[in-house]
Amino acid sequence: MTSIRLRLLKWLVGPILVVNLGAAALTYLLAWTPAQLAFDEGLRSNAAALASRVRVGGIPALAKVGADDPAGESSWVALHDAQGRRLAGSPALAGAPRAGMRDARLDGEPVRVAVADVGDARGLRLSLARTTRTRQQVSAAIVRSLVLLELVFSLALVGLVWFSVGNGLAPLARLRARLDARGSSDLAPLDDAGMPRELVPVVDAFNGLLGRIELGARAQDEFRANVAHQLRTPLAGLRLQLEWLAARHAGDPESRHSVELMLQANERMIRQTNQLLSLERAEPNRFARARLVPLDLAELVADSVQAFVEQAAVRDIDLGFDLGKAVVQGDRFLLRDLVDNLVDNALRYTPRGGRVTVGCGALSEGGSVLRVEDNGPGIAPELRAQVFERFVRLDTGTHGSGLGLAIVRDIANLHGADLSLLDAAGGGAVFTVAFP
Amino acid sequence: MHVLLVEDDAVLADGLTRTLQGHGMRIELATDGLQADAQLQRNPPQVAVLDIGLPGIDGFEVVRRLRARGDTTPVLLLTARDAIEDRVRGLELGADDYLVKPFATPELVARIRALARRNAPKTGVLVLGNLVFDSGARRARIGQQPLELSAREWAVLEYLLQQAGRVVSKQQIVDTIAPWGEDLTLNAVEVYVSRLRLKLDGAGLALRTIRGFGYLLEAAAPA
Repeated sequence: MTSIRLRLLKWLVGPILVVNLGAAALTYLLAWTPAQLAFDEGLRSNAAALASRVRVGGIPALAKVGADDPAGESSWVALHDAQGRRLAGSPALAGAPRAGMRDARLDGEPVRVAVADVGDARGLRLSLARTTRTRQQVSAAIVRSLVLLELVFSLALVGLVWFSVGNGLAPLARLRARLDARGSSDLAPLDDAGMPRELVPVVDAFNGLLGRIELGARAQDEFRANVAHQLRTPLAGLRLQLEWLAARHAGDPESRHSVELMLQANERMIRQTNQLLSLERAEPNRFARARLVPLDLAELVADSVQAFVEQAAVRDIDLGFDLGKAVVQGDRFLLRDLVDNLVDNALRYTPRGGRVTVGCGALSEGGSVLRVEDNGPGIAPELRAQVFERFVRLDTGTHGSGLGLAIVRDIANLHGADLSLLDAAGGGAVFTVAFP
Repeated sequence: MHVLLVEDDAVLADGLTRTLQGHGMRIELATDGLQADAQLQRNPPQVAVLDIGLPGIDGFEVVRRLRARGDTTPVLLLTARDAIEDRVRGLELGADDYLVKPFATPELVARIRALARRNAPKTGVLVLGNLVFDSGARRARIGQQPLELSAREWAVLEYLLQQAGRVVSKQQIVDTIAPWGEDLTLNAVEVYVSRLRLKLDGAGLALRTIRGFGYLLEAAAPA
C-alpha cells in the first residue's frame, strides 16, 4: 500500500535536501576561500620579511629562523640561487622556479610553501614552508557548523512538510470519515459542497458509481419481489390441485403418502416465497417511518390465528393464546411478518404433542411486549446469538429457510424493539419482543 | 350457491373450480375482466371471487363498474400482491373482502360462505356433520333427533355454524350474540359452549377449544 503523505514527503523533502546540500557546499567554499587567502597572505609576508633580512644581513641571517611557531605549526626555510642550487636552510625544500605560493608535502605532512625573491643581483629566492594544521582546524570547524545547521534545518523542514501535507490531506480524511459513518445500505450520493476543487471529480465519479450500484440493487429488489409475486399464483393453483388429489385418493395409502409429500414441498415453496417478500419489506431502505400507525398486537395476532391453528393441528401442537391489549407504533405488514415468523418458528421446532403459547400485553413500566413460548428443547445459551443470523438452522432435520428469525430481528430493529431469547419456565424457549 | 370465479391462471382456476364444487358451490368461470363484467350483468352470482391481475380490464376496474351500476353482489378479491395500497384500493372501490395468494382452502371457503350469508335472507338451513340447523324455523336436529337449545345456546351455535371451519374468539361471540351491551361475560360463553359440546355429542362435529382465544367448529374427521 502506498501513502500519499509519504509520497509527498519523499518528493518534497528529497529535492529540498539535495538543493540544500549544494547550497551548503557553496557556503563552505565562500567561507573557506577568504580564510585560505588570509593564511596565504600571512605566509607570504613572513617569507618577504625573511627575504628582506637576507638582502640586508646576508645568508647568515637565516640561522636565526627556527621552528618557534606559537600556533604549533612546523616551518622550514631554504635559500636557492637562480639555478636552483641550495645555498642554505632545510635540504627537504626543493628550489622553486619563481616567486609565489604552492602546495607540497614535507615529512609526510601537507605544507604550504611561499617563495619570495630576495631582490639582490644574484637572483636569490627564499622558500618558506609551513604545515597547514590551523587551516585544517578552521576548515573542519566550518564543515562541522554547516553539517549541524543542515541537520537542524532538515528536521525542521520534514516536520513542516509533514504538518502541511497532513493539513492538505484533511479533506480526504473528512471524506473518508463520512464514508465510514455510512450504513451498509446507504447509497445516497455524497454532497460535494465544501469539497476542494481537486476532490470534486473524485466525489463525482464516486457518486456515479453509487448511483449505478443503487440502480442495480433496486433492479435486483424489484426482480426478487416480482419473481416472488409471480410464483404465488402457480403455487396457489398447485396447492388446490394437490389437495383435491389428496381427498380423491384418501383411501389409497401410497398415493396419499406421495401427495402428502408434494403438499409439504408446496408449503415450503410458499413459505420461502413469502419470506423473500418479508425480507424485501424489512429492508431498511424501504422502511418508511411515516407508515407507522398505532396497532394493537392482540388484534394483529388474532388476524393470523386461523393459519396458526391449522399449522398447529398438523403438527399436533397445543397452541394457546394469552392476549392483552398491546398498542405499539408499527407497520402492519412488517409486524404481521414478525408475528408469523416467531409463531412459525415455535411451531416448527417444538416436537409433536408440544405446547406453544403466544402472548402480548402492555408493560407496567410502559411499552408493550409480545411473547412466544414453547416447551420444546430450548436453545443453548451459546447458540442464542446465532439463531438470529440469516441462513442459520440449528436443527438440520427440520425444513426451514433459516430466514425466519433473521426477519424477526430486522423487523424488531426497525421498530426500535428489543428482541430477546430466554429459557422458558418449564424448559423450552421464550422469545420476547419488547416495544418502546 | 352460485359463485362467479374470475381467474386467468388455468391451473388455479381449475383447482378453485373443483375445490369449490366439492364444497357444494356452483361455479361459473371467467378468464378475463371484460368477460367477468359481462357475466356479472347477465347472470348475477351470489358471490364473485375476483383476481386483481387480469388481462383486459383488471379486477379493480371490474369492481368499480359493478358498484357504479349499483350492483351489491359481494366481491372477494384475490391477489398475488400484498401491498397495503392494493388492499385499501380494493376495499375503497367496494370489494367486500380480500385474500392474498396462496390462501388456505378452508379460509377461502369460509370467507365465500360468510359473504353469501351477508347478502342472503336469514332463513337458510345450515348443515354440518349430522346436524341440520334451520335458522328460519328455529329448529335443529341431529340426524332425526330434535335438539333442544336455550336462546343463548341457539345464538352461540348459530354463530359457530356460520363461521364453521374458522377460529372465532370468545369476544367475537359476545359481540355477536349480545350486541347491545348486554351483560355477557367471557366466562358465560365458556359455559354455553361446554353445554353445547355435551348436546352436540354424536352430531359428527368437533368443537375445539383454542386455548386462551376461542373456538373452532368443524365437521369431525372421519374416524
